[in-house]
Amino acid sequence: MKNPFFEFKDFRPKKREIPLDKIIASKEKVMDALIKAYDRLVEQEAKELVWLVSYHSVIRAYANAEKSIKDMQYGVEDIEEFLFEIENPSRLPYPIMGLCGLYISALCNHIKEKEIVLDLQNKNINLHLLGYRLPKGKRLIVYGDLGDFTGIGLNGGELLVEGNAGNWTGAGMRMGKIVVKKNVGRRTGEDMVGGEIYVEGKILGVGNVRYGRIYEKGGIVSP
Amino acid sequence: MRKSLKNIYDFISDHLYFYRPDLEINGEKYNSTLLFSLLTTVVQGKQLIVGEPGLGKTTSAEYICSVFYQIPLGTIWLSEVAGHPEQTEEKIVGRPNLGLLNKGIESVVWSNFVQLPVKIVDEINRLPETKQSIILDGVDRGNWQYLNEMFTNDEYCLFATANYQDLGTFTIIPPMLDRFDVMVESKHPGANISYLIASFYKKDELLRHEKYERELNKLLNDSKLSYEVKMERIEKVYANFSKHLEKMGLQPISKQKRKAIRNKIEDMELDLDANAFLRTLISELSFCYKYGQKRANEKCEEGCHFTGYLCHSIKNCISNRFPISVKLYAKALAWFLGDKQVNVEHIKTVAPYALSHRLQWREEFIAIYEKETRVDPLPIYLAKVAVDKVLERYGEQRESIKEALAVAYDISQGRQIAPLEGDHPIYWEIKRDLGGL
Repeated sequence: MKNPFFEFKDFRPKKREIPLDKIIASKEKVMDALIKAYDRLVEQEAKELVWLVSYHSVIRAYANAEKSIKDMQYGVEDIEEFLFEIENPSRLPYPIMGLCGLYISALCNHIKEKEIVLDLQNKNINLHLLGYRLPKGKRLIVYGDLGDFTGIGLNGGELLVEGNAGNWTGAGMRMGKIVVKKNVGRRTGEDMVGGEIYVEGKILGVGNVRYGRIYEKGGIVSP
Repeated sequence: MRKSLKNIYDFISDHLYFYRPDLEINGEKYNSTLLFSLLTTVVQGKQLIVGEPGLGKTTSAEYICSVFYQIPLGTIWLSEVAGHPEQTEEKIVGRPNLGLLNKGIESVVWSNFVQLPVKIVDEINRLPETKQSIILDGVDRGNWQYLNEMFTNDEYCLFATANYQDLGTFTIIPPMLDRFDVMVESKHPGANISYLIASFYKKDELLRHEKYERELNKLLNDSKLSYEVKMERIEKVYANFSKHLEKMGLQPISKQKRKAIRNKIEDMELDLDANAFLRTLISELSFCYKYGQKRANEKCEEGCHFTGYLCHSIKNCISNRFPISVKLYAKALAWFLGDKQVNVEHIKTVAPYALSHRLQWREEFIAIYEKETRVDPLPIYLAKVAVDKVLERYGEQRESIKEALAVAYDISQGRQIAPLEGDHPIYWEIKRDLGGL
């Protein structure tokens, strides 16, 4: 009997490309670039396996982060995807929370979008330094809790935390607004020179505030 | 040659058979009865024409056959078999030559129906089933037997007409229906064209020629002439009648040209999509996961995984005659339209007409569609709905189905790879062919 499939002997399927595949491929490309840039930052900053937060180390690390993401094309959803990658040790083996926070701050500060929403709920990460130097005209909304140094050096932007924030929240902020829906830690507003911090829960301790205002549960606590 | 065929189509639609187009192919409109009748003569097929009385079922076939084979209309009328319960094999096929029988010699006088290539059975469903089978058996094989003699047609086609069921009709049983390649409906042309037809009631005269009709009748009834001599002389009369047709602007097609056309049609190939689509269609009409194949006496189970496919909507299994009919007519259609290969569009056009009389639908399927607005009779409408549904499914996974078939070829050649998995019955059929189930 003749082979019933004979006519299909030379058929070779066209490489199927559905729009979703394209989107996924381009997203993967962006994510690879974001991870590589972060890895470069880690290489530059964490040579001694420990990265300590200090005035100078933060400034230097942020400058390096800005350099590493220069000319990169990404969107808010890519930043969110990066948050997932922080939890994935196979792709991001050194998720240093301070560096991650600074890196994401740099990404947020240089993105085209005016409003950025990040969801940290149900994620096992405690980002520090998020909102660093958030510029005027930007609004960063975070669902979930943040770590220490949240919104330090805030530069006119608006940071809304739908959860708790750690110590040194708003330290050194110049202008803008930080709203924390739950509680904050100690040294809140340390060395701040302008702007406002609204805490709807409890403030464990207010720092040495130079200028600016801090509110707790609607009432002013500083000055 | 293609032009000659189009010329026949145009001549008949302009002068003889007035209709509304009911079929659109590649942007051009056609009448399904006329188009399929023409293709039936070309491919030597078997066509069932249904419809209300007096709507041109028989006449459309007569006109097409007269022009295509260059036989005067009067001769065709004399060769027709009329369906009625008293019809006998002697009237349909042939009778003993009584003169010779008296001398002790057994010889058969063949009927005009047997001798002419054109075979028209008027109102076939007024013939009892056994007599329907005499005709279809003969046409199926091209051989006619009576006593110990045999008559062979080297060229033939069959048209049978059927009225919708009334008190005087018999049923055409499914195995008999299956022998028809296609079924079409000769529709009412609408009030205005119908009014026009009334003004042209003498249009038959165009295809009449008394002299040639007399000559042909004499030759057909001359039992003394040997078959070869008789056919040679008949062909000469056909040639003379063809000159008469030429005067009306027709381009008759000679026997040699008809043969050449058939060869060209035979050589047409199906492109891979047409090929895969036809396999997909057949798989839905024959597959049963539980019982191996569809069988008219086995009920489809409720809650079966394959409920969404046609196998769940039909009672019977499609026969092997179906792909033969579809391929034959699709090739002829593609050639007629001037296309190089048979594509999905050709298969999609032909398939409903080759399916409608072959399928027994489940009541649930009929109930969904019978009240819908339509121009076709229910069996053709349902077949069109079914083919569209399969085409939709094929469109969604055409590359995958073709790949599955290609992989099946590789496996059958000894490559150690797994067959492509899929939900559609075609994937399961492939696996069965590869011995996987």
